[in-house]
Amino acid sequence: MKVIVLNCGSSSIKYQLFEMPSKNVLAKGLVDKIGLKGSAIKHKRNDGVEAKLEGEILDHQAGIQYLLGILVSEKYGSIKDIEEIDAVGHRVVHAGEKFSGSVYITEEVIDALEECVDLAPLHNPPNLKGIYAMKELLPEVPQVGVFDTAFHQTMPPEAYLYGIPYSLYEKYKIRRYGFHGTSHKYVSKRACEILDLDYEKQKIVTCHLGNGASMAAIKGGKSVDTSMGMTPIEGLIMGTRCGDLDVGALLYIADKEETSIQNTSTLVNKFSGMIGISGVSSDMRDIQAAADNGNERAKVALEMYQYRVKKYIGAYAAAMGGVDVIVFAGGIGENDTLTRTRSLEGLEFLGLEVDREKSLNSRAKEEVISTPESRVKIIVVPTDEELMIAADTYEIVESIIEKSRY
Amino acid sequence: MSETLADFSLGKKIQAKGIIQKVGVIGCGAVGQEITRTISHYGLDVVFLDLDQERIELIFKQLDQQLDDVINQWGLTTGEKRAILSRIKGTTDYADLAECDIVIETISSRKRGTSIEIRKEIFQNVEAVVRPDAIISSNIATLMISDLAAALKYPERAIGIHFILPVHKSQIIEVVRGIGSSEEAYQQVIKFAGMINKKIIRVNESPGNIVTRMMVTTINEACEILMEGVASVTDIDTAMRESSGNVYGPFELADRIGLDKILKYMDNLYQEFGDKKFKPSPIIKRLVRANYLGRINGKGFYNYQGEKAIDQTVTCAVIK
Repeated sequence: MKVIVLNCGSSSIKYQLFEMPSKNVLAKGLVDKIGLKGSAIKHKRNDGVEAKLEGEILDHQAGIQYLLGILVSEKYGSIKDIEEIDAVGHRVVHAGEKFSGSVYITEEVIDALEECVDLAPLHNPPNLKGIYAMKELLPEVPQVGVFDTAFHQTMPPEAYLYGIPYSLYEKYKIRRYGFHGTSHKYVSKRACEILDLDYEKQKIVTCHLGNGASMAAIKGGKSVDTSMGMTPIEGLIMGTRCGDLDVGALLYIADKEETSIQNTSTLVNKFSGMIGISGVSSDMRDIQAAADNGNERAKVALEMYQYRVKKYIGAYAAAMGGVDVIVFAGGIGENDTLTRTRSLEGLEFLGLEVDREKSLNSRAKEEVISTPESRVKIIVVPTDEELMIAADTYEIVESIIEKSRY
Repeated sequence: MSETLADFSLGKKIQAKGIIQKVGVIGCGAVGQEITRTISHYGLDVVFLDLDQERIELIFKQLDQQLDDVINQWGLTTGEKRAILSRIKGTTDYADLAECDIVIETISSRKRGTSIEIRKEIFQNVEAVVRPDAIISSNIATLMISDLAAALKYPERAIGIHFILPVHKSQIIEVVRGIGSSEEAYQQVIKFAGMINKKIIRVNESPGNIVTRMMVTTINEACEILMEGVASVTDIDTAMRESSGNVYGPFELADRIGLDKILKYMDNLYQEFGDKKFKPSPIIKRLVRANYLGRINGKGFYNYQGEKAIDQTVTCAVIK
């Protein structure tokens, strides 16, 4: 079965064509600068053939039309006809409380997602555009939605409610949703596969540390808490986002600086986090270099980052009554060996023992970085959200075909 | 590389008419600069045309400063500022507007007397270089787009676009269809408004549209109240701010826009309608004559120190 996975952003589309269930990636690429000048598609086939094609891309539909055109082209293509595509998997950021798993996209599902636009005004509309475009271009092909928030729908109310009037939850569904669900689910499952553990019986803390970063507490295969909230601002300190912040402080800032709601949002989303503290960069490598050169703010920024991760590990161990596995994923989790190692320092009381040598050297590969004696297993698992989307899509479409046989 | 995306289209659908990529701005004074910044902020290229190289350099300096101010209020990152500036080009040559999809005339309306002839000339200069389907527009408040369109070979492409100050904050633009404006041109402008995140207020051609017409009569009435000694400048402003949620009181607003401009709007409206409610209040006339123009030169209804109003300049009859 050939499954195409689409991740539609506001002005870009990431795509991958998979052969399932073998998980072979036949081609992948990026449609960039949709509706802007300089729009182009970068395409790469699995045999290494690459192309960068420029031209006007007016909207998402045009972009998808072109990428399908490339996929069937003689020169760069991987298939002969678009009829060969058996299913489409979409990444959708916010599904509110509507869905707790991936779903086959029907008119009702689309309506439900439209209702969630308010909760993710930047992300959901382009996701929906991708769905509409595919519906028009490949009307016969089943589409599946895989949601960033879905995996965390198992959180209990004590973890997802905020301490604000309950009527606001009822009125606007203001609560914690969490994000990166596809990644947390994938890396936690994969970790158990590698470690040969029963997924349903573990207490797992997953650390998805990328430019946006979140952690999750996964007990018995279910997310019971996660660090991002109603929006991706809450929780860990990120590249440019502040993470946990006293709302009183924010009100005070808005009052003192007389900032509009829009500018206050820019302040916590783009000026804060590592770049705001260090004044150097949002990139950990630059900050590390500055810290090595004696930059005090860079140093404290790194310490804050590590401290926040450590605090959440402790909190989630408390929430689950212990921890069996800690997983690191995402650009920083996979490659920033120092940050990873320091985040774990002082947690020996939980029953973990880091293999410092391994932890300081393992990069971008699946590897256990705890000692053989360590009760708590610590492991690095490079995340692969696209593959997870393809797998869910395959599974759902297979089951539909299966049902239709009877 | 001769290969382009067009070679790979599935050809299921014909693409709609091209998107708007480049906008021309003629006359880059205070308002022109606000418009230029806003358009570039939303990812469009802007070419502004001004009198000479010296002015162009000054304008870039001012734009740079304005963007820094926004950064200091957390409204923009330095990376975004660089991107905004990189999309803006300055020129003195109409030929550089050739590729523009929309050209907006925004010359200063400060000078005494009617500016309609100068604007007509600009329209003709623009038409000589742009594509036949490019929109030619003017940011006019009290003049008529149809008058300007009359100077064009293809008058159906003329549409009035009135930006509301401050341009980056206000959520609307008034779009004025002239007598001959075509539906295509109007649709293009709607698309443009969407691209720069503005809602459209559709206006049938009439002097002052909605915003300017309501504003000048309010300012005139505020002057009446002041002259009658009913209340002070500050109290009238405060009352209007607090009672109706306006950001500015009528005198603050007049000072912001410039009393000379307000006077001109009123003159134009009075001439057009002949109704005395538009007749400029004697206070405004006296202030302009005394060169009290508002914020721009530090004194109007208020005295200014930098951006801050420190005290009121006009007090009126009070019975003791």
